Amino acid sequence: MSEFNISQRETKDVNVLEIKGYLDAHTAPKLEDAFQGLLKSSKYKIVVNCKDLSYISSAGLGVFMAFVEDVRKNKGDIKLSNMSPKVFNIFDLLGFPLLYDILADESEAINRFLDSKPIIPGNAKK
Amino acid sequence: MSTSNKKSSPHRKSSPRKKSSPRKKSRPARSAASAPPPAKSYASYFEHTALFEFSKVINSSLDPQFVYSHILLTIMGKILSSKGMVALAGSGKEVKVEAAKGFSQSLIGKGVVVEATPSNLFDISVVDADRYPWVEFFQQAGVAILLPMVMADRLIGFLGFGERFSPQPLEDQQRTYLQSLANISATAIEKSRTLEETKQVNRKLDRKIQEMNTLFELGKEFGSLLDPEKLVRLLVFSLLGQVGVNRYLIALRGGSDMRVVASKLDGPVPQGELLMSLANLKGPTRVSEYIIKDSIDPRNRLNAAGLHVIVPMQLQGENRGLILLGEKLSKEPFTDLDLEFFSSLANLAIISLENARLFKEAIEKQKLEDELLIAREIQKGLLPSVLPDIPGIDIAATNISSRQVGGDYYDVIPIEGERFIIAIGDVSGKGPPAALLMANLQATIRALVPLNIGLSELTGKVNSLLCPNTGGSKFVTFFWGIYDPKDRSLSFVNAGHNYPLLVRPRGKVDRLDVGGMILGIMEPPAPYEQGIVTLTTGDMLVLFTDGVTEAMDKNAVEYGEGRLESLVSAHLASNAEEMVDLIHEDILLHSKGTSQSDDITMMILKAV
Repeated sequence: MSEFNISQRETKDVNVLEIKGYLDAHTAPKLEDAFQGLLKSSKYKIVVNCKDLSYISSAGLGVFMAFVEDVRKNKGDIKLSNMSPKVFNIFDLLGFPLLYDILADESEAINRFLDSKPIIPGNAKK
Repeated sequence: MSTSNKKSSPHRKSSPRKKSSPRKKSRPARSAASAPPPAKSYASYFEHTALFEFSKVINSSLDPQFVYSHILLTIMGKILSSKGMVALAGSGKEVKVEAAKGFSQSLIGKGVVVEATPSNLFDISVVDADRYPWVEFFQQAGVAILLPMVMADRLIGFLGFGERFSPQPLEDQQRTYLQSLANISATAIEKSRTLEETKQVNRKLDRKIQEMNTLFELGKEFGSLLDPEKLVRLLVFSLLGQVGVNRYLIALRGGSDMRVVASKLDGPVPQGELLMSLANLKGPTRVSEYIIKDSIDPRNRLNAAGLHVIVPMQLQGENRGLILLGEKLSKEPFTDLDLEFFSSLANLAIISLENARLFKEAIEKQKLEDELLIAREIQKGLLPSVLPDIPGIDIAATNISSRQVGGDYYDVIPIEGERFIIAIGDVSGKGPPAALLMANLQATIRALVPLNIGLSELTGKVNSLLCPNTGGSKFVTFFWGIYDPKDRSLSFVNAGHNYPLLVRPRGKVDRLDVGGMILGIMEPPAPYEQGIVTLTTGDMLVLFTDGVTEAMDKNAVEYGEGRLESLVSAHLASNAEEMVDLIHEDILLHSKGTSQSDDITMMILKAV
């Protein structure tokens, strides 16, 4: 079965999820659990570092969709960073760059939270 | 591309120079850095080189906007105009503005139908407006010069420019030169457009492949999931992820109802009747295109709930469920391809959901069977396999379990003083809980009997011990007695059980009814009473459970105590074993054509 792992850390009030491997229908519930955990403890500033993400399917993308609204309602956001071109292509195909802040680097994503600028969905980098 | 690049390259390119003799001449002149070349040939040389460079630059880029920009800037510089636009012909006859410099950006995307056009550069102010009425569009936009781009007799589009700063009219040579630029531009634009189209086709293909992957992956995953909740969750994730929607409702059909199993909506969640009115849809449908077939118009309520698409989940031509989706977060409309994808996904999901349902049903049935088997095992283990010999008594007993297994119990236990406990009971309920309570009762009896206290008090203690284990919701009807062969006496307590019948040869039937309330409910208001009878030879004591007297025939008529009494009375000559068989056969005869609904248990003691 496909491998998928999540490791979690907190830097400057921002929670970073590093996701590794294949995020598909089989492994999506793991990410769901991770988001649920963060929301339960009222952590709404979330960066998902996709450095070691080798594949994402629509079920995986759906998990982001399922949580982003609640997170934004609480003045937070789910930002994505360090995507490989292959993974970005899938996000792009499904029109996600319009809906999410996708940044080249994790620190850049964290800094976005530290800037006092309001979050404008759809302000994503190309 | 920078201009310095353009300047530095001509010397490396030799082929354009070889063709004309003036250039050959100019070479030694230039190397000698003396007499300048004739002005005209120098200009010609420069123009050829520039043309070549122009071609190289616009053909080296795959970005249409860059190509347009370079074409416009080059020509605007050439003719001294501050405004330029690119207008391109689509698949029809309409020509649309694609890029503009100096002109209003609001022109972009606007267009005009062009039936016929002059094939070379022309000034709008002098063109025959009756013949070419469409030039008005360009004129109004502020275009003074139009440069048609034609490739193989096909109009690719126009390059349009505003008024020139120079009062000098364009010379023929300049016009030819500009036309060359236009022709080169046409080729480059066509190329970049083809490429753009290819890219888009590729992207569509990529998306299709991605959809296929999704379906394939879900097919695999759905197949291995048997939990409907997880299945629905996965379906939701895939829908949200694939199309970028955030509002949904998933309903599954159960009989004549549609049950909402998952939803995220802002307004009220549509329910049964409304959803059922959508059950006749044959395929995925946009709410805006929904055609009302009966009195219910679901559109307003669906719109209120923010739902835009209805996707039936079909199995063997029947709608087993519905997926309703809100709009895309990108606000883009749902394409036909989207709807096709939803349909595939819905039909894939419903197969698995249906399988999961059937599997669950099968498991539950199996679980029930297993439970019954356990109950039967417990019951069989508790009932005595061999009855002890009692002096002066011919004894026989039977227990015939119904399919559901009740909690019938009987026992014969030898006790101190060569006496015997004779017991029969019926635990309320069926299956393992009843069997376990029965085991509890038996253990209690066997633990208490050695205390050697009176039967009445003993019954009270059995009840006290049983009560905490029933939680007040279960009870036991129980009859027990102590038979002493020495004086043939049977002292007994009947705790709410069917009265055992003592049938005597001389016609008198005693019902052993002395005792008290049933066991397991509460502490009785009064102690259990104890009765006593003495057996004489030929007496037949019939102990039984309600499965005997309440056995029903096809018309729900019970077998009844009267029939039992008559049967026993008529066959007092039989031994105990024969009597058990006789009664059983008679019950079977009575309930012929029905299935046994309760355990049938009886014990016969014949005084011999």
